[in-house]
Amino acid sequence: MMFKKSLWVFHLNSGSCNGCDIEVLNIFTPKQDVERLGIKLVGSPRHADAIAFTGPITRECLPKAIEAFMAVPEPKIVLAIGSCACGGGIWFDSYAVIGGIKEFYKILKEKHGIEPPTTIYIPGCPPKPEAIIYGVALARKAVEQKQKSEIFVEESDIDDAATLFKEATSTRHFIPKIEVIKRGE
Amino acid sequence: MGRFGLIFKSIAKGRVTEKYPFAPIELPEGFRGKPEIDPEKCIGCGACATVCPPSAIQIHVDEEQGYKTIDLFLGRCIFCARCEEVCPAEAIRLTKEFELAAASEEDLHQVVKLKMAKCAGCGRPFDTVRHLQFIAEKLPEEQKPMLALCPDCRAKLASKILTVAARRHR
Repeated sequence: MMFKKSLWVFHLNSGSCNGCDIEVLNIFTPKQDVERLGIKLVGSPRHADAIAFTGPITRECLPKAIEAFMAVPEPKIVLAIGSCACGGGIWFDSYAVIGGIKEFYKILKEKHGIEPPTTIYIPGCPPKPEAIIYGVALARKAVEQKQKSEIFVEESDIDDAATLFKEATSTRHFIPKIEVIKRGE
Repeated sequence: MGRFGLIFKSIAKGRVTEKYPFAPIELPEGFRGKPEIDPEKCIGCGACATVCPPSAIQIHVDEEQGYKTIDLFLGRCIFCARCEEVCPAEAIRLTKEFELAAASEEDLHQVVKLKMAKCAGCGRPFDTVRHLQFIAEKLPEEQKPMLALCPDCRAKLASKILTVAARRHR
């Protein structure tokens, strides 16, 4: 999915602590003025190309979030801003939240049969305003993705503790070192 | 300040907007960015997983394969730097990297798999080889043999030693 022209974003607070919301508003201030890139916040999801979730999606706001998500016309992209939206954040296992955008997609697929759209994950607690700009630039393929998964597997011949500590196999030399002190002597 | 004063001031100030996506920015001293595990230094003790408030670092033990997996999921990290504080091997540290946006969740994982040592008594893998070596450096010589045993076998051995010793002093 690629948007060649201006990207209009509908910003939805889905149970956020306001940290990410302030950072989203920050990028429209003169210092990081993203309107120079054609990015704009809109008041209605029907006018938007992208929907930005900030927050772990609480149970209370789940029906509203689904409604707002379905109101965004196709083609659309989703920006998951902050650690809460990406993976549930510090509340990932709470009963009161759904637990991130991935769980939200599962519910969408089960209940409404909607396939998940292109999603940009922007981790941070809250993400720096520049990190959000980078995420939006990534959505428009203006920059290359730096973050890649890394898997390291240790290769070693030793897998036995007995070879590490050879004297461990016999226990006799332990015993004389223990002194039992009898009370009352 | 009148209307013209404001205009003159803003002209004198010049341009404040950053050129960010096209030019890099300066980061402040002590900025906490992406946490990174150095796989060569990590001993797999699990201290970081214990202190991590959102459980972004999780530890899985695979007893069949004999591997301990340290899984760092950036998408849940809150960048508090507790893991950096607590790491005894100084393996995990917070870099100044903040451009972490990714198009898929899989890209936000860092996985370190460490080999586990089998217990000399029962043969069950119980701790990473590197962790045992790390502890062995700090222990006095006479206590080292206990390291080759898993906690269960260690408890059994300790009770055995106590019974034998008590019998001798009777």
